Amino acid sequence: MTVSLPFWRIRLQSLKNERFSREKTNRYTRYVFWGTIGLCFWAFVFFLFYRVLNYFRQVEILGDILAMKLLYMIIVTCFGILILSNLIIMLSKLYLARDLNLVFSLPLSGREIFVTRFWETVVDASWMVLLFGFPIFLSYGIVYKSHFDFYLLSLAAMGILCVIASGISAVLTLLAGAILPAGRLRAGLSLVTVLAVVAVVVAVRLLRPEQLVNPDRFMSVAYYLSSLKVSSSPLLPTTWAYDAIRLALRGGNLLNIVHNLALSITGAATLVYLGAWLADKYLRRGFSRAEMVKRKVTKREKAWGEKRWPFIAPDTQAFFMKEFKTFLRDQSQWPQLVLVLVLIGIYLYNFSVLPLDKTPIKTVYLQNVFSFLNIGLAAFVLTAIAARFVYPALSLEGKAFWIVLSAPTERKRFIRIKFFFYLLPLLLLSEMLIVSSNLLLGVDPLMMFISVGSMLFLVPMITALALSFGALYPAFHHENPVESVTSFGGILYMIVSSMLVVFIIALEAGPVYHLCMASIRRESLSLLQILWAAFTFSFVGFLCLGTVVLSLQKGERHLKFLD
Amino acid sequence: MVALEAVSKSYGPVKAVDGISLQVARGEIFGLIGPNGAGKTTTLRLMGGIILPDSGRIFIDGIPLITHPVAAKKLIGFIPDRPYLYEKLTGWEFLQFIADVYRLNRPQAMKRAEFWLEMFGLDGRQHDLVESYSHGMKQRLAITAALLHDPPLIIVDEPMVGLDPAGAKLVRDLLRKQAKDGKTIFLSTHTLSLAEELCNRIGIINHGKLMATGTMEELRQLVQAGEGHLEDVFFKLTTEEMV
Repeated sequence: MTVSLPFWRIRLQSLKNERFSREKTNRYTRYVFWGTIGLCFWAFVFFLFYRVLNYFRQVEILGDILAMKLLYMIIVTCFGILILSNLIIMLSKLYLARDLNLVFSLPLSGREIFVTRFWETVVDASWMVLLFGFPIFLSYGIVYKSHFDFYLLSLAAMGILCVIASGISAVLTLLAGAILPAGRLRAGLSLVTVLAVVAVVVAVRLLRPEQLVNPDRFMSVAYYLSSLKVSSSPLLPTTWAYDAIRLALRGGNLLNIVHNLALSITGAATLVYLGAWLADKYLRRGFSRAEMVKRKVTKREKAWGEKRWPFIAPDTQAFFMKEFKTFLRDQSQWPQLVLVLVLIGIYLYNFSVLPLDKTPIKTVYLQNVFSFLNIGLAAFVLTAIAARFVYPALSLEGKAFWIVLSAPTERKRFIRIKFFFYLLPLLLLSEMLIVSSNLLLGVDPLMMFISVGSMLFLVPMITALALSFGALYPAFHHENPVESVTSFGGILYMIVSSMLVVFIIALEAGPVYHLCMASIRRESLSLLQILWAAFTFSFVGFLCLGTVVLSLQKGERHLKFLD
Repeated sequence: MVALEAVSKSYGPVKAVDGISLQVARGEIFGLIGPNGAGKTTTLRLMGGIILPDSGRIFIDGIPLITHPVAAKKLIGFIPDRPYLYEKLTGWEFLQFIADVYRLNRPQAMKRAEFWLEMFGLDGRQHDLVESYSHGMKQRLAITAALLHDPPLIIVDEPMVGLDPAGAKLVRDLLRKQAKDGKTIFLSTHTLSLAEELCNRIGIINHGKLMATGTMEELRQLVQAGEGHLEDVFFKLTTEEMV
């Protein structure tokens, strides 16, 4: 453990030294921004659980079962999130971080390096889960009128669960480092991580929670109750944590609580010991193997960009080709693409299982309502995709950005090239998404036209905003610029983009309603309704195009004064 | 060829470049020397149009760099001290990219590229990804890219960093040859012997201020260094300033 102390001291020192940072004002704004968002979210979680649990308490027998089922689901979800975040952070800490060359040059054994990195990962991967899990346990404690020891025991149980999650991730990462072929370790581990995310998302979706509100599915009350009862293996860490917290909540036998905590502690200790043993054997070898092997360029790749189109300026083609090749050859992008495809698959699957025929509302109304709301939903999905791929596009230029800055190409031209490079695939993707979901819903041509038309205006707006915020908050020196999406600028972009989408959907709601109703009833629109619709759609058009122009101008201006 | 008029640049409270004015004639090799953090790289980045000055004007062959950056940059070949390049392109693709960005005649430019690649010993490796190159190879590729459009002004930040002795000699000879052909070379270096050997005129910068400029003879006279080397002149000027 003592070997970790200098590393922790460096981290604390770096935090302290932030006061010498040049961006003092910016830093305080960020603290206030994040603090406010965090507090709002914290309060929201607390009141949501407080209300739900109070409601459950009023329902005899079933209420308690539901509350405990919810508690178990929360613990399992937290554990899943912990495993995933630990895998991502552990991969970086053990094999990819910038300071690893220095760390491996120090007179430290694999075990010592592992121990240092392990505890750093535990803190980095767990603090958020513990922080935002606290209002949940607080609401349980208040509703069940628990004593103070419940909070302490819950914190202990969840804390040990965090260590167990880190231990499992460490063992998996170290084993992967020993097994995966050299040079493919980074891509292989990234892929494993994404596949784990996909597995969790698909598993949750396949539970088909929509069936819980369909009483016809359950043959009897007994069957329904038995489906709610928590039954899990006593070998699972989530069961130990759940049992300890449940017993503490209801003032259960202290010996049983200690028994479950002891199981958790010994489980965590075993995993840490196993990790240290594996690290001694494989960490150094894995780190050497993580270095990329020389990749050969294929004949077909060599042909890319050899030909030039006469109708596009050569520098535009050069930047397009550079973006294209860089994107395709960057193996870290592939797993993310897999994730996007899976999420789109689930998105469309959701539309295919909507029980439209089982509702008392007429299907034709619901089809139109869902189709209209789907515009907003698709725009949100697109915002998330743009946040991942477009927002860091400028930052991904990294330290090679001097090439662009010293080239005889205007910076506004450069940002516009980036804009069109991302606009085309995003437009294609969003239109495919909207058309496919509309086909699954079976909407009429009018609604199809409105949806497709709206996306034509929304996509450029979302793309330009992402690029502009990426230029305003660049992360050229970030270890992995893609991660900048979770930074202040990235979150601000998602908030602004989502708010604009909500505003546009709200604006269009009235005219679209009248248009659809007139179409269903085969009536004609009044003059006022026609004027309202014309004004709204023109305004939305101007708003979207205006946002594109202003965003790109703002981004261009910021790039011009970038040092 | 190059004219700086009262150029200043600050990073927060730190004045990196403080009212520098100087002129460099066509065919001249001008060397900027100074201690670490003196403002050499910032000056070169300002001249390359990479960053904008807070005040002052920069002219490249009479073209104002700040108001007409595209026209001015076409005349510059910029070589940074650390060759960060597009790692996912091959060397050949990177040179094609540069040829297109500078809007050169592609076949002619690539013929020139072949010549430079062979000269720098990169032929045979041009179809490998840049990420597989060593630091020295990347530096050679960056120099090739800077020379591809045959610029009348070459700005080089620490030309010898990362180069092996053979590469360093090659670059030294190349810079001399370019100057002989009428090109202007503006370089910054820590290697005083290189500046003394290569440059027609030298500027000494410290704390963002140009302390002195002139030929070796003029600098010696300025500090009354007799037959002393540039090292004596440099320490006299920079140490006196510090005192």
